[in-house]
Amino acid sequence: MSNRYVYAGLCGLAAALVCNPARSHEIVGNRMFPATLVIDDPGVADELSLPTVALYRTGDDPSAKELDISGEYSKRITEDFAVSFSPTWTHLYAPGGPNGVGASGFQNLETTFKYRLFKNEEHEFVASVGLNIEWGGSGAQDVGADSLTTYTPTAYFGKGFGDLPASMTWAHPFALTGQVGYAIPSSSATVTVDPDSGDVDTEFNPRVLVWGASLQYSLPYLKSAVADVGLPDFVNHLIPLVEASFATPVSNTSTSGTLTTGTINPGVIYVGKEFQIGVEAMIPINRQSGTNVGVIGQIHFYLDDIFPNSLGRPLFSNSIASGRPNP
Amino acid sequence: MKPLCKIAAALAVGLLPLAAQAHAMLDHASPRVGSTIASAPKELLLWFTEKLEPAFSTAEVRNAQGAVVSGKAQADRSDGTELRVPLKALPPGTYTVTWRVLSVDTHRTQGSFTFSVGP
Repeated sequence: MSNRYVYAGLCGLAAALVCNPARSHEIVGNRMFPATLVIDDPGVADELSLPTVALYRTGDDPSAKELDISGEYSKRITEDFAVSFSPTWTHLYAPGGPNGVGASGFQNLETTFKYRLFKNEEHEFVASVGLNIEWGGSGAQDVGADSLTTYTPTAYFGKGFGDLPASMTWAHPFALTGQVGYAIPSSSATVTVDPDSGDVDTEFNPRVLVWGASLQYSLPYLKSAVADVGLPDFVNHLIPLVEASFATPVSNTSTSGTLTTGTINPGVIYVGKEFQIGVEAMIPINRQSGTNVGVIGQIHFYLDDIFPNSLGRPLFSNSIASGRPNP
Repeated sequence: MKPLCKIAAALAVGLLPLAAQAHAMLDHASPRVGSTIASAPKELLLWFTEKLEPAFSTAEVRNAQGAVVSGKAQADRSDGTELRVPLKALPPGTYTVTWRVLSVDTHRTQGSFTFSVGP
Protein backbone atom coordinates (compact mmCIF):
# COMPACT_ATOMS: atom_id res chain seq x y z
CA MET A 1 0.00 0.00 0.00
CA SER A 2 1.53 3.29 -1.02
CA ASN A 3 1.26 6.51 0.91
CA ARG A 4 -0.41 8.00 -2.14
CA TYR A 5 -3.47 5.77 -1.68
CA VAL A 6 -3.60 6.54 2.02
CA TYR A 7 -3.47 10.25 1.39
CA ALA A 8 -6.05 10.05 -1.37
CA GLY A 9 -8.50 8.22 0.87
CA LEU A 10 -7.96 10.48 3.83
CA CYS A 11 -8.19 13.59 1.72
CA GLY A 12 -11.46 12.31 0.33
CA LEU A 13 -12.76 11.99 3.86
CA ALA A 14 -11.58 15.46 4.74
CA ALA A 15 -13.21 16.87 1.61
CA ALA A 16 -16.45 15.09 2.45
CA LEU A 17 -16.42 16.73 5.87
CA VAL A 18 -16.01 20.16 4.35
CA CYS A 19 -18.39 19.68 1.45
CA ASN A 20 -21.37 18.38 3.38
CA PRO A 21 -23.54 21.48 3.72
CA ALA A 22 -26.49 19.89 5.53
CA ARG A 23 -27.35 22.19 8.42
CA SER A 24 -30.46 23.53 10.05
CA HIS A 25 -31.63 25.55 13.04
CA GLU A 26 -33.74 24.52 16.01
CA ILE A 27 -35.78 26.25 18.73
CA VAL A 28 -36.17 24.64 22.14
CA GLY A 29 -37.77 26.82 24.80
CA ASN A 30 -35.59 29.83 25.43
CA ARG A 31 -32.89 28.44 23.18
CA MET A 32 -32.31 28.89 19.47
CA PHE A 33 -29.67 26.58 18.07
CA PRO A 34 -28.40 28.30 14.92
CA ALA A 35 -27.56 26.46 11.73
CA THR A 36 -23.91 25.53 12.15
CA LEU A 37 -21.60 25.64 9.15
CA VAL A 38 -19.70 22.36 9.32
CA ILE A 39 -21.64 19.91 11.44
CA ASP A 40 -25.38 19.48 11.35
CA ASP A 41 -27.40 20.70 14.31
CA PRO A 42 -30.28 18.66 15.76
CA GLY A 43 -32.92 20.80 14.09
CA VAL A 44 -35.73 19.97 11.71
CA ALA A 45 -36.82 23.06 9.79
CA ASP A 46 -37.72 24.66 6.47
CA GLU A 47 -34.60 26.48 5.41
CA LEU A 48 -32.14 27.28 2.68
CA SER A 49 -28.38 27.62 2.89
CA LEU A 50 -27.25 29.52 -0.17
CA PRO A 51 -24.41 29.78 -0.62
CA THR A 52 -21.90 28.02 1.58
CA VAL A 53 -18.42 28.86 0.34
CA ALA A 54 -15.26 27.14 1.60
CA LEU A 55 -11.69 27.84 0.52
CA TYR A 56 -8.85 25.75 1.90
CA ARG A 57 -5.80 23.69 0.96
CA THR A 58 -6.33 19.96 0.71
CA GLY A 59 -4.33 17.28 2.49
CA ASP A 60 -3.25 15.79 -0.85
CA ASP A 61 0.42 15.30 -1.65
CA PRO A 62 1.09 17.74 -3.24
CA SER A 63 -1.50 19.95 -1.60
CA ALA A 64 -3.85 22.00 -3.77
CA LYS A 65 -6.18 24.90 -3.12
CA GLU A 66 -9.85 23.91 -3.26
CA LEU A 67 -12.96 26.05 -3.57
CA ASP A 68 -16.35 24.55 -2.68
CA ILE A 69 -19.63 26.33 -3.32
CA SER A 70 -22.64 24.49 -2.00
CA GLY A 71 -26.28 24.88 -1.11
CA GLU A 72 -28.86 23.04 0.89
CA TYR A 73 -32.63 23.08 0.76
CA SER A 74 -34.47 21.47 3.64
CA LYS A 75 -38.21 20.83 3.61
CA ARG A 76 -40.34 19.62 6.50
CA ILE A 77 -42.72 16.87 5.56
CA THR A 78 -44.26 16.83 9.03
CA GLU A 79 -43.49 18.95 12.09
CA ASP A 80 -40.73 16.51 13.09
CA PHE A 81 -39.53 15.02 9.80
CA ALA A 82 -37.61 16.76 7.02
CA VAL A 83 -35.76 15.95 3.82
CA SER A 84 -32.85 17.99 2.52
CA PHE A 85 -30.89 18.11 -0.72
CA SER A 86 -27.31 19.33 -0.92
CA PRO A 87 -25.37 19.88 -4.15
CA THR A 88 -21.74 21.07 -4.06
CA TRP A 89 -19.63 22.50 -6.88
CA THR A 90 -15.85 22.16 -6.49
CA HIS A 91 -12.94 23.87 -8.19
CA LEU A 92 -9.49 22.39 -7.67
CA TYR A 93 -6.59 24.68 -8.49
CA ALA A 94 -3.35 23.27 -9.96
CA PRO A 95 -1.66 21.00 -9.01
CA GLY A 96 -4.98 19.43 -8.06
CA GLY A 97 -7.09 17.19 -10.28
CA PRO A 98 -6.18 13.98 -12.09
CA ASN A 99 -3.72 15.67 -14.48
CA GLY A 100 -2.29 18.21 -12.07
CA VAL A 101 -3.74 21.18 -13.94
CA GLY A 102 -6.84 21.67 -11.80
CA ALA A 103 -10.40 20.51 -12.28
CA SER A 104 -13.98 21.60 -11.73
CA GLY A 105 -17.27 19.84 -11.26
CA PHE A 106 -19.99 18.77 -8.89
CA GLN A 107 -19.53 16.50 -5.92
CA ASN A 108 -22.03 13.72 -5.42
CA LEU A 109 -25.51 14.92 -4.56
CA GLU A 110 -26.46 14.34 -0.93
CA THR A 111 -29.88 13.71 0.56
CA THR A 112 -30.60 13.70 4.27
CA PHE A 113 -33.70 12.39 6.03
CA LYS A 114 -34.00 13.63 9.61
CA TYR A 115 -36.51 12.93 12.37
CA ARG A 116 -36.74 14.81 15.65
CA LEU A 117 -37.04 12.21 18.38
CA PHE A 118 -37.24 14.27 21.55
CA LYS A 119 -37.47 17.86 22.66
CA ASN A 120 -37.52 19.20 26.24
CA GLU A 121 -38.04 22.94 26.41
CA GLU A 122 -37.35 23.31 30.13
CA HIS A 123 -33.92 21.75 29.80
CA GLU A 124 -33.24 23.08 26.30
CA PHE A 125 -32.51 19.58 25.04
CA VAL A 126 -33.27 18.07 21.66
CA ALA A 127 -32.29 14.82 19.97
CA SER A 128 -32.77 13.66 16.39
CA VAL A 129 -31.78 10.81 14.12
CA GLY A 130 -31.12 10.89 10.42
CA LEU A 131 -29.84 9.11 7.35
CA ASN A 132 -27.52 10.87 4.92
CA ILE A 133 -27.11 9.37 1.47
CA GLU A 134 -24.31 10.41 -0.85
CA TRP A 135 -25.41 9.26 -4.26
CA GLY A 136 -22.39 7.59 -5.87
CA GLY A 137 -21.68 8.45 -9.49
CA SER A 138 -23.78 11.62 -9.47
CA GLY A 139 -20.70 13.85 -9.32
CA ALA A 140 -17.47 14.32 -11.26
CA GLN A 141 -14.62 11.95 -10.49
CA ASP A 142 -12.10 14.64 -11.49
CA VAL A 143 -12.93 16.51 -8.27
CA GLY A 144 -12.94 13.40 -6.12
CA ALA A 145 -16.61 12.38 -6.28
CA ASP A 146 -16.90 8.70 -5.47
CA SER A 147 -18.55 6.15 -7.69
CA LEU A 148 -19.91 4.46 -4.56
CA THR A 149 -23.06 5.41 -2.75
CA THR A 150 -22.47 6.00 0.96
CA TYR A 151 -25.10 5.66 3.66
CA THR A 152 -24.51 7.48 6.96
CA PRO A 153 -26.99 6.92 9.78
CA THR A 154 -26.44 9.73 12.25
CA ALA A 155 -27.57 10.78 15.72
CA TYR A 156 -27.75 14.48 16.67
CA PHE A 157 -28.21 16.30 19.95
CA GLY A 158 -28.35 19.84 21.31
CA LYS A 159 -28.22 21.00 24.92
CA GLY A 160 -28.46 24.53 26.24
CA PHE A 161 -27.09 25.37 29.67
CA GLY A 162 -29.93 27.68 30.71
CA ASP A 163 -31.03 25.21 33.40
CA LEU A 164 -27.81 25.48 35.37
CA PRO A 165 -28.19 26.90 38.91
CA ALA A 166 -28.82 30.62 39.33
CA SER A 167 -25.33 30.95 40.79
CA MET A 168 -23.99 30.08 37.31
CA THR A 169 -25.90 32.58 35.20
CA TRP A 170 -22.65 33.44 33.41
CA ALA A 171 -22.84 29.96 31.83
CA HIS A 172 -26.50 30.05 30.81
CA PRO A 173 -25.85 31.41 27.29
CA PHE A 174 -23.60 28.43 26.46
CA ALA A 175 -24.89 25.49 24.44
CA LEU A 176 -23.40 22.29 23.08
CA THR A 177 -24.46 20.43 19.95
CA GLY A 178 -23.05 17.25 18.49
CA GLN A 179 -23.43 14.49 15.97
CA VAL A 180 -22.16 10.94 15.54
CA GLY A 181 -22.56 9.07 12.26
CA TYR A 182 -21.34 5.84 10.74
CA ALA A 183 -20.59 6.06 7.00
CA ILE A 184 -21.14 2.77 5.17
CA PRO A 185 -20.07 2.57 1.51
CA SER A 186 -22.20 0.44 -0.80
CA SER A 187 -19.21 -1.68 -1.77
CA SER A 188 -16.40 -2.91 0.45
CA ALA A 189 -13.71 -2.62 -2.23
CA THR A 190 -12.97 -0.91 -5.52
CA VAL A 191 -10.90 -2.83 -8.08
CA THR A 192 -9.15 -1.04 -10.92
CA VAL A 193 -7.08 -2.48 -13.77
CA ASP A 194 -4.27 -0.50 -15.35
CA PRO A 195 -5.04 -0.56 -19.13
CA ASP A 196 -1.35 -0.47 -20.04
CA SER A 197 0.26 -2.87 -17.61
CA GLY A 198 -2.78 -4.95 -16.73
CA ASP A 199 -1.97 -4.55 -13.04
CA VAL A 200 -4.92 -4.99 -10.74
CA ASP A 201 -5.26 -2.62 -7.80
CA THR A 202 -7.70 -3.16 -4.98
CA GLU A 203 -8.67 -0.33 -2.70
CA PHE A 204 -10.76 -1.18 0.32
CA ASN A 205 -13.49 1.29 1.19
CA PRO A 206 -13.49 1.85 4.94
CA ARG A 207 -16.46 2.35 7.18
CA VAL A 208 -15.97 5.69 8.84
CA LEU A 209 -17.09 7.23 12.11
CA VAL A 210 -18.14 10.81 11.32
CA TRP A 211 -18.35 12.87 14.47
CA GLY A 212 -18.29 16.44 15.60
CA ALA A 213 -19.53 19.05 18.03
CA SER A 214 -20.03 22.77 18.50
CA LEU A 215 -19.73 24.94 21.60
CA GLN A 216 -21.73 28.16 21.32
CA TYR A 217 -22.17 31.32 23.37
CA SER A 218 -25.44 33.03 22.45
CA LEU A 219 -25.55 36.79 22.93
CA PRO A 220 -29.23 36.80 21.86
CA TYR A 221 -29.85 34.41 24.74
CA LEU A 222 -27.86 36.63 27.09
CA LYS A 223 -30.00 39.64 26.22
CA SER A 224 -33.43 38.03 26.29
CA ALA A 225 -33.08 35.45 29.06
CA VAL A 226 -30.14 36.30 31.33
CA ALA A 227 -29.17 39.96 31.45
CA ASP A 228 -29.77 42.87 29.09
CA VAL A 229 -26.51 44.69 29.71
CA GLY A 230 -27.03 47.32 27.03
CA LEU A 231 -24.71 45.96 24.37
CA PRO A 232 -24.96 47.44 20.85
CA ASP A 233 -27.78 45.94 18.82
CA PHE A 234 -25.40 44.33 16.33
CA VAL A 235 -23.54 42.53 19.12
CA ASN A 236 -26.81 41.25 20.55
CA HIS A 237 -27.29 39.23 17.36
CA LEU A 238 -23.96 37.38 17.50
CA ILE A 239 -23.24 33.80 18.47
CA PRO A 240 -19.49 33.11 18.76
CA LEU A 241 -18.79 29.40 18.46
CA VAL A 242 -16.22 26.71 17.87
CA GLU A 243 -17.08 23.76 15.68
CA ALA A 244 -15.08 20.57 15.37
CA SER A 245 -15.65 17.93 12.70
CA PHE A 246 -13.78 14.65 12.36
CA ALA A 247 -13.75 11.40 10.38
CA THR A 248 -12.16 8.23 11.71
CA PRO A 249 -11.95 5.05 9.60
CA VAL A 250 -12.91 2.21 11.92
CA SER A 251 -13.29 -0.93 9.81
CA ASN A 252 -12.13 -2.33 6.45
CA THR A 253 -9.14 -0.03 6.87
CA SER A 254 -6.34 -2.10 5.31
CA THR A 255 -5.71 0.46 2.55
CA SER A 256 -7.09 3.61 4.15
CA GLY A 257 -5.46 3.41 7.54
CA THR A 258 -7.22 4.59 10.68
CA LEU A 259 -5.94 8.14 10.92
CA THR A 260 -8.53 10.70 12.06
CA THR A 261 -8.90 13.74 9.85
CA GLY A 262 -10.88 16.91 10.36
CA THR A 263 -10.85 20.55 11.26
CA ILE A 264 -11.49 22.78 14.26
CA ASN A 265 -13.41 25.90 13.29
CA PRO A 266 -13.66 29.01 15.46
CA GLY A 267 -16.06 31.60 14.12
CA VAL A 268 -19.18 33.66 14.62
CA ILE A 269 -22.78 33.65 13.40
CA TYR A 270 -24.94 36.75 13.04
CA VAL A 271 -28.60 35.83 13.65
CA GLY A 272 -31.16 38.07 11.98
CA LYS A 273 -34.93 37.83 11.83
CA GLU A 274 -35.12 35.83 8.64
CA PHE A 275 -31.54 34.85 7.90
CA GLN A 276 -28.17 34.27 9.45
CA ILE A 277 -24.63 34.83 8.20
CA GLY A 278 -21.71 32.81 9.52
CA VAL A 279 -17.98 32.74 8.96
CA GLU A 280 -15.38 30.41 10.43
CA ALA A 281 -11.69 29.65 10.12
CA MET A 282 -10.89 26.03 9.28
CA ILE A 283 -7.87 24.74 11.17
CA PRO A 284 -6.77 21.28 10.01
CA ILE A 285 -5.84 18.91 12.84
CA ASN A 286 -3.01 17.24 10.88
CA ARG A 287 -1.22 17.20 7.53
CA GLN A 288 -3.76 14.80 6.02
CA SER A 289 -6.59 17.21 6.84
CA GLY A 290 -5.07 20.17 5.04
CA THR A 291 -1.91 22.20 4.83
CA ASN A 292 -3.16 25.64 5.76
CA VAL A 293 -5.93 27.45 7.60
CA GLY A 294 -8.99 27.74 5.37
CA VAL A 295 -12.16 29.76 5.62
CA ILE A 296 -15.85 28.93 5.29
CA GLY A 297 -18.80 31.31 5.07
CA GLN A 298 -22.52 30.82 4.74
CA ILE A 299 -25.76 32.71 4.21
CA HIS A 300 -28.72 30.83 5.61
CA PHE A 301 -32.42 31.67 5.24
CA TYR A 302 -35.18 30.73 7.69
CA LEU A 303 -37.91 29.84 5.23
CA ASP A 304 -40.43 29.34 8.02
CA ASP A 305 -40.02 33.04 8.82
CA ILE A 306 -39.86 34.30 5.24
CA PHE A 307 -42.83 32.26 4.01
CA PRO A 308 -44.77 31.33 7.16
CA ASN A 309 -47.96 30.48 5.32
CA SER A 310 -46.62 28.63 2.30
CA LEU A 311 -43.12 27.34 1.62
CA GLY A 312 -42.15 27.55 5.28
CA ARG A 313 -44.82 25.21 6.62
CA PRO A 314 -44.65 21.42 6.86
CA LEU A 315 -46.47 19.65 4.06
CA PHE A 316 -48.63 17.82 6.61
CA SER A 317 -49.37 19.78 9.79
CA ASN A 318 -52.35 21.40 11.48
CA SER A 319 -50.45 23.02 14.31
CA ILE A 320 -49.21 26.57 14.62
CA ALA A 321 -45.50 26.85 13.96
CA SER A 322 -43.21 26.72 16.93
CA GLY A 323 -41.10 29.79 17.48
CA ARG A 324 -37.65 31.18 17.96
CA PRO A 325 -37.74 33.17 21.18
CA ASN A 326 -34.50 35.09 21.08
CA PRO A 327 -33.74 38.36 19.29
CA MET B 1 -43.38 37.26 -6.56
CA LYS B 2 -42.61 33.56 -6.46
CA PRO B 3 -40.70 32.32 -3.41
CA LEU B 4 -37.49 31.43 -5.23
CA CYS B 5 -37.57 34.75 -7.04
CA LYS B 6 -37.99 36.43 -3.66
CA ILE B 7 -34.91 34.70 -2.31
CA ALA B 8 -32.94 35.43 -5.45
CA ALA B 9 -33.95 39.06 -5.23
CA ALA B 10 -32.88 39.21 -1.60
CA LEU B 11 -29.52 37.75 -2.52
CA ALA B 12 -29.15 40.14 -5.41
CA VAL B 13 -29.79 43.26 -3.37
CA GLY B 14 -27.69 42.19 -0.44
CA LEU B 15 -30.27 40.88 1.97
CA LEU B 16 -32.61 43.84 2.03
CA PRO B 17 -35.54 43.22 4.35
CA LEU B 18 -37.97 40.74 2.91
CA ALA B 19 -41.65 41.53 2.87
CA ALA B 20 -42.59 39.03 5.55
CA GLN B 21 -43.09 38.81 9.29
CA ALA B 22 -40.82 36.75 11.47
CA HIS B 23 -41.21 35.27 14.93
CA ALA B 24 -42.20 37.70 17.68
CA MET B 25 -39.08 37.83 19.84
CA LEU B 26 -38.49 39.76 23.02
CA ASP B 27 -36.74 42.97 22.05
CA HIS B 28 -36.45 44.53 25.48
CA ALA B 29 -38.30 44.84 28.75
CA SER B 30 -38.90 47.25 31.60
CA PRO B 31 -37.56 46.39 34.15
CA ARG B 32 -34.64 45.17 32.05
CA VAL B 33 -33.88 41.49 31.75
CA GLY B 34 -31.66 40.45 34.65
CA SER B 35 -31.66 43.89 36.27
CA THR B 36 -32.00 44.90 39.92
CA ILE B 37 -34.14 47.95 40.59
CA ALA B 38 -34.42 49.91 43.83
CA SER B 39 -38.17 50.52 43.84
CA ALA B 40 -40.91 48.13 42.84
CA PRO B 41 -42.50 48.82 39.43
CA LYS B 42 -46.27 49.02 39.08
CA GLU B 43 -46.25 47.24 35.77
CA LEU B 44 -44.01 45.13 33.57
CA LEU B 45 -43.59 46.19 29.95
CA LEU B 46 -42.45 43.80 27.24
CA TRP B 47 -41.63 44.90 23.69
CA PHE B 48 -41.45 42.34 20.91
CA THR B 49 -39.93 42.46 17.47
CA GLU B 50 -43.20 41.69 15.68
CA LYS B 51 -46.89 42.46 16.13
CA LEU B 52 -48.80 40.10 18.40
CA GLU B 53 -52.16 38.40 18.35
CA PRO B 54 -53.56 39.88 21.59
CA ALA B 55 -55.92 37.01 22.35
CA PHE B 56 -53.08 34.48 22.28
CA SER B 57 -50.29 36.49 23.93
CA THR B 58 -49.72 36.49 27.64
CA ALA B 59 -47.14 36.89 30.39
CA GLU B 60 -47.03 36.39 34.12
CA VAL B 61 -44.67 37.15 36.98
CA ARG B 62 -43.99 34.85 39.92
CA ASN B 63 -42.06 35.46 43.12
CA ALA B 64 -39.37 33.19 44.55
CA GLN B 65 -42.03 31.04 46.22
CA GLY B 66 -43.80 30.50 42.91
CA ALA B 67 -46.82 32.66 43.67
CA VAL B 68 -48.25 34.75 40.84
CA VAL B 69 -47.81 38.46 41.55
CA SER B 70 -49.11 39.83 38.28
CA GLY B 71 -52.49 40.60 36.76
CA LYS B 72 -53.81 39.89 33.29
CA ALA B 73 -51.44 40.88 30.52
CA GLN B 74 -52.83 43.33 27.98
CA ALA B 75 -51.50 43.86 24.48
CA ASP B 76 -51.21 47.47 23.39
CA ARG B 77 -53.51 47.48 20.38
CA SER B 78 -52.20 50.76 18.99
CA ASP B 79 -48.62 49.59 18.91
CA GLY B 80 -49.18 45.89 18.44
CA THR B 81 -45.76 44.84 19.67
CA GLU B 82 -46.14 45.64 23.38
CA LEU B 83 -47.46 43.67 26.33
CA ARG B 84 -48.35 45.41 29.61
CA VAL B 85 -48.52 43.32 32.76
CA PRO B 86 -49.89 44.95 35.96
CA LEU B 87 -47.99 44.01 39.12
CA LYS B 88 -48.99 43.74 42.76
CA ALA B 89 -46.87 45.57 45.32
CA LEU B 90 -43.56 43.74 45.09
CA PRO B 91 -41.41 43.39 48.21
CA PRO B 92 -37.64 42.99 47.72
CA GLY B 93 -36.84 39.72 46.02
CA THR B 94 -36.25 38.02 42.70
CA TYR B 95 -39.10 37.61 40.24
CA THR B 96 -39.45 35.34 37.23
CA VAL B 97 -41.21 36.54 34.12
CA THR B 98 -42.65 33.94 31.74
CA TRP B 99 -44.07 35.07 28.43
CA ARG B 100 -45.79 33.19 25.66
CA VAL B 101 -46.94 35.01 22.54
CA LEU B 102 -48.32 34.41 19.10
CA SER B 103 -47.14 36.63 16.28
CA VAL B 104 -49.47 37.76 13.53
CA ASP B 105 -47.81 35.27 11.19
CA THR B 106 -48.94 32.48 13.58
CA HIS B 107 -45.54 31.60 15.04
CA ARG B 108 -45.53 30.79 18.74
CA THR B 109 -42.62 31.94 20.87
CA GLN B 110 -41.96 31.74 24.55
CA GLY B 111 -39.29 32.69 27.02
CA SER B 112 -38.49 33.63 30.57
CA PHE B 113 -36.17 35.86 32.54
CA THR B 114 -35.74 37.29 36.00
CA PHE B 115 -35.43 40.72 37.58
CA SER B 116 -34.91 41.72 41.19
CA VAL B 117 -36.28 44.37 43.50
CA GLY B 118 -34.01 45.42 46.29
CA PRO B 119 -31.28 47.71 47.49
